[in-house]
Amino acid sequence: MSEHRLRIDPAGTPRATILIVPPLFEEANRTRRTLVLAMRALAAEGFGAMLPDLPGQNESLVPLEQVDLARWQDALVKVAAGIDGPILVASVRGGVLIDHQVKAAAWWRLGPVGGSSLLRTLMRARVSADREAGLTSSLESLQEEAKTRPLLVAGNRLSPEMVAQLGKSEAQAVEPLRNIALGADGIAGTPLWLRAEPGEDAAMAAAIAADISAWSTTCGIS
Amino acid sequence: MTEPATKASGVDATLRALLADVLGLGEARAAALTEDSGLFGELPEFDSMAVATVLTEMEDRLGILIDDDEIDGEIFETYGNLLAFSLRKVTG
Repeated sequence: MSEHRLRIDPAGTPRATILIVPPLFEEANRTRRTLVLAMRALAAEGFGAMLPDLPGQNESLVPLEQVDLARWQDALVKVAAGIDGPILVASVRGGVLIDHQVKAAAWWRLGPVGGSSLLRTLMRARVSADREAGLTSSLESLQEEAKTRPLLVAGNRLSPEMVAQLGKSEAQAVEPLRNIALGADGIAGTPLWLRAEPGEDAAMAAAIAADISAWSTTCGIS
Repeated sequence: MTEPATKASGVDATLRALLADVLGLGEARAAALTEDSGLFGELPEFDSMAVATVLTEMEDRLGILIDDDEIDGEIFETYGNLLAFSLRKVTG
C-alpha cells in the first residue's frame, strides 16, 4: 500500500531533494507544521522537499501495531528509490533511528534521541494515566506485558517487535553527517517536539532550511 | 559553602526552562512560578503525557535517574514540590 507523501517542489528542476524523516509518534504532530514551513523555505531555495508518511503514522491506513522500526527503514528506502537526483536525508529526533539505510548523498540530523528514551517517556505516560485511573502499573510491568502482546502507550498500540527494537535502538553511523542540536551553537529555537500543545516557530523553520541548504553546499551536492 | 547554593539555583533554572519547553509557558510565565504554583491539575497543559515528558527531560538535563516508585502525585502538585524533589535527586 502506498503512503501519502507531502512534496513541495521548487520552480525549476530541483538542485536536490531533501527527504525529511519526521520524529516518531506524538512528536511528529508537534513538529509537523514547522517542518513543512522549513520545506517551503527549502523549495524557495531551489530544493525539492518530501515528507513521507511512515506506515502506521499520520494518514497511513496501516495499523500501528503491525509495524516496527525495520519496516519503517524499508519504507524509507523505497520512498528514496522513487526520487530522481541526489537526496539529502534530514531527520528529526526519533527519525534518526530509521534513516541510515536510505541511499543518500548526505545526512542531517536535528535533536537526535535514542529509542529507549522515547519508549521510556511513552511508558511513563501510561503509568501516569493508569495512576490517575486508580490502576497500578510500572515500567517493569509494561515491559513484561509488551513481550507477548501489543502495548497501548499514550494512544499508540506498539507491537512486541516495536517495543523490543525501540528499547535498544540508537542512531547508526552514516557519512557525511551533520548532527545538530538546538541552541546557540545549533538551530535557534525551542524543542517543539516536547510541547504538550502543538506550536509553530517560523524563525526556527527558516534556520532549519538555511542550515540544510548550507550543508548541501558543503557536501558538494549543489 | 557557596557551591550548594549555586547548584540549587542551577537546578531551579534548569527546571523552569524545562517546564517552559514542555508546557509552552513562555519565559515570563516560567519565571513567575513560585513554590506554591500549582502544576498537575492546575495547568491544563500538564496532562499525563506532559508528566512523562518532564520526567524524561529531568533525567537528561539534570543527569539523574528516576524510579517509578519515587514518583507520587505530590511531586507534581506544586513547583516547590518538584524543585525539592529535583534538589534531593541531584544532591543525593
